[in-house]
Amino acid sequence: MEDLTLAQGFAIISLNALDSRHMTTAKRMALRCISAAAILELYLKGCFTEKEEQLVLNREVLVQPNVLLYQAEVLRHIFKKKTSLEGTFAWWLMKASALSDKSLKKVEHAITDSLKGLNLVEEIPTLLGCDLLYVTAEITMREYRSNSLEYNRQVEGTRSEVLEEGELTDEDIAKLWLLRESACLNEIFTKKELDNVLIRFNELYQSSRLAKRLFEVCIHHMAETAVKNFLSFKKQIMSTPVGTGINFDFPFIERSQSVFIDTEAMFSKPEKRLEDVLKRLNHYGHEVTVIRAGVVPLLKIDNVLYEAVPDAVMGKIPIQGMRLRRYQI
Amino acid sequence: MSRQRSLEKIAASEYVSIGELVRLTGSRYSTLKFYTEEGMLPFEQEEENLTRRFPREKTVARIHEIQGMKKQGCSIPEIKKLLQE
Repeated sequence: MEDLTLAQGFAIISLNALDSRHMTTAKRMALRCISAAAILELYLKGCFTEKEEQLVLNREVLVQPNVLLYQAEVLRHIFKKKTSLEGTFAWWLMKASALSDKSLKKVEHAITDSLKGLNLVEEIPTLLGCDLLYVTAEITMREYRSNSLEYNRQVEGTRSEVLEEGELTDEDIAKLWLLRESACLNEIFTKKELDNVLIRFNELYQSSRLAKRLFEVCIHHMAETAVKNFLSFKKQIMSTPVGTGINFDFPFIERSQSVFIDTEAMFSKPEKRLEDVLKRLNHYGHEVTVIRAGVVPLLKIDNVLYEAVPDAVMGKIPIQGMRLRRYQI
Repeated sequence: MSRQRSLEKIAASEYVSIGELVRLTGSRYSTLKFYTEEGMLPFEQEEENLTRRFPREKTVARIHEIQGMKKQGCSIPEIKKLLQE
């Protein structure tokens, strides 16, 4: 059990299940907030010199032993060649969140390395990587998976502090703001709880100096938030019993929920088809257990149940195989 | 401005909040809240609107006890009965 920093704790929540190799919209939003979290940590630690409304920071801070690698990475991209920078609280946060994709990638490596070192984050293959189209295009897909106990600790810790009566710590206020800016609030609070969270936001705005300063700053981009919300809504709809059926006939709607695995021989027997599917899944490092064999086998892949339904796709010639469909419990 | 207590400090203090209990045990907030409402976890509250304080050692031991009984297949009413005995 480790004491994680604000940025590390937030990364455990926001990077979980995101593509680890490509810069997706959801990941960009998470990384912008992780960079802002690094600045908030320095602010809470008192590394900035305050001159009226301006916060001043010298480049010398980069060599201080208490500055962590990912914090230094964020600062390096903000400072560039300057020796000292001065700006308002909002300016620093905006600057940290407006890093280029290249810089964000470096911040990502720095933060995930720190978490991988603690065995709290790992990279696992995505099931979609087994799909015929991805295999033939030689696209390798991997995603982050946070340690489930630590993920639970972070999410439930924040939920309890926010939903329970009592004073919030600065870290909790900062995390609440980060969750708002990364559009992750609805991932950890239910719709009903969100009403209470909104009340909490208003209370904090009036009672806490940090909250008043922080909640006025918006680092999210409307277009990115809209894209992220739309994609998660689509995924949610396609996970329902009706959605799963629709997605089986029209797999392009939500590819990650309908994976097609081609079989070696045409018109092969159910046992041979299953063998081919297991071979592909094992090759890509997935943990598979056959719950039920037969014409439509039931498989447990990485703790999620899927039915493997015989199917064919039309290329220049018909390609036979099996389509994995999320099994509704 | 109030800062978050480190795990080391939480693990050494006599009383903890429900959020700190979540961090200590890794249990879900809703689960601990439910146990509290059902009277399965001991707590102190000075006035009605003040935060509940849980005696750390006793409560953590109680949570582990409940988890153990759940693993053995006991239902919540059964656990409540056993705890009262």
